[in-house]
Amino acid sequence: MKALPPFNHFPRPLGEWLKGQGPESDIVVSTRVRLARNIKAWPFTLRSSTQQREELLLAVFEALNAIGLDQSVVRLRLNEVPEVYRDVLVERHLISRELASAEGPRAVVFGRGEMLSIMINEEDHLRLQWIKSGFDVDRAFRALVKVDHALERRLPYAVSPKYGYLTACPTNVGTGIRVSVMVHLPALTLKDHVQKVFKAAEKMNHAIRGLYGEGTRAFGDFYQVSNQATLGRSEEEIVESVKAILPKILEYERRMRGQLFSDERPMVEDRIFRALATLKNARMLNVQEMMSHLSLVRLGISLGIINDISLATVNEIFILGQPSHLQREEGREMTPAERDAKRAELVRTRLAAGRN
Amino acid sequence: MICDCCKKNEAKVQVCDVEQNAVVQQFAICNDCMTLLKRLLFDPATPLIPTSEAVKQVQDMLSSKDKSLTPVEAPGKLTVSDRQPEAVPACPSCGMTLAEFKQRGRFGCAHDYEVFASHIDPLLERIHDVTPPQHRGRLPQGEADESVTGKARELAALRNQLDDAVLAEDYERAAKLRDRIAALAGEVKSKPGKARREGP
Repeated sequence: MKALPPFNHFPRPLGEWLKGQGPESDIVVSTRVRLARNIKAWPFTLRSSTQQREELLLAVFEALNAIGLDQSVVRLRLNEVPEVYRDVLVERHLISRELASAEGPRAVVFGRGEMLSIMINEEDHLRLQWIKSGFDVDRAFRALVKVDHALERRLPYAVSPKYGYLTACPTNVGTGIRVSVMVHLPALTLKDHVQKVFKAAEKMNHAIRGLYGEGTRAFGDFYQVSNQATLGRSEEEIVESVKAILPKILEYERRMRGQLFSDERPMVEDRIFRALATLKNARMLNVQEMMSHLSLVRLGISLGIINDISLATVNEIFILGQPSHLQREEGREMTPAERDAKRAELVRTRLAAGRN
Repeated sequence: MICDCCKKNEAKVQVCDVEQNAVVQQFAICNDCMTLLKRLLFDPATPLIPTSEAVKQVQDMLSSKDKSLTPVEAPGKLTVSDRQPEAVPACPSCGMTLAEFKQRGRFGCAHDYEVFASHIDPLLERIHDVTPPQHRGRLPQGEADESVTGKARELAALRNQLDDAVLAEDYERAAKLRDRIAALAGEVKSKPGKARREGP
């Protein structure tokens, strides 16, 4: 299998959002705010020629330099990054799958402990995002707005008084804001109540999706709750609406956890400890297996059943055990079977080392 | 006069190639064909081609479109307005048609919002559950700071002007702007070291 060049653009092993801290971190993994922006002078990416995309890239880099986002951030032209490392960026939530597999001049700029990421030449010219660990919409929003305001003085954004910020897809037009909260709902999943939550959220104009965004199924009982509408409401109203719906979901999940704990304690403990035993002893683990077992271990930590493993350790394994991260660690491309063995080894050593 | 390109509609514009201040070739073009022609003639990304060549390419596009339209394409999905593309003109800036937007679900440029306004308002009302579709969030404060200089900025400004010129059908100005953009972009491109990867 092909050896890979080194890829050391991450100052820390993992981004801030995986710390397993912040408000409601027993259920909420992270809060992400993103803004979609386009620049007046160029057609949207769909209609941009290679040369236009290159021009836009240079204009954005220049603007980023002007606002001080130069030395302190990592800037990667994705057509110069091997596929496997583009997937590493996807696994770390720094770029979208679409940007990873697109062609032509395109880039990502990230920094501030991987909280800030700016995708250039995605479906929109700019996708700015800020991720915080835990349920922390206000801070993520405020931090991202600062970057957006600094940029808008250098780059003339495409806007209209009627439609607001103009975006390639009509689902993002207006504020261009998407607030997504990543939640871990193992009890609602076990009790088969997730569909109910989906329906209730939909009625309140919010969407729930799987872990890696649009169109993906829930992985390891992780879901993203986000606003649907971006037009006809102010940014603050949208932020408040997500803040208003989350407590209801949290309360529901906690109630189900309580019920599981009081009514079905032996069953729950059995499942949690079997999952932990598998993770500690398995010699081959595929991604789905790892995710579903880790989900139960995470539940065990939140319920106080497991108390010698930290949430941060579990979060860490979630990302480092993903296929492209394993290959980066090993420094070469690997077959699925090799990855499963490497993943099992990683999980065993991390769980042993992560005991507190 | 009938359009030299589609040979169907009435010609509205004269397009000519000029060599050393003398007109060497002249075409009468209708509005529909002009929209397509503009994209070929004024895109700085494509090499300069004689008008005759561009007209031929548009004719090819039109004939292949005719062919693709002959088989019955998912008739249930098409609405009356889809079958009459001439009722909604294509975007003069990016060439996006209403039919293509409906198929892809993505716009080609910021102008599309104005061009298709009457058609997208019902869609936006549905998606965002708001009537009428009216932005209520913030907008950029004032104009972008013009003091930042540099080639990329200049390029952005030129592109804006080119857009305006094409929309105003000032093709002479558009051609000049296009040449300046091509020259400037060439200079930017030949310095690849400038914006490469930077470490943390």
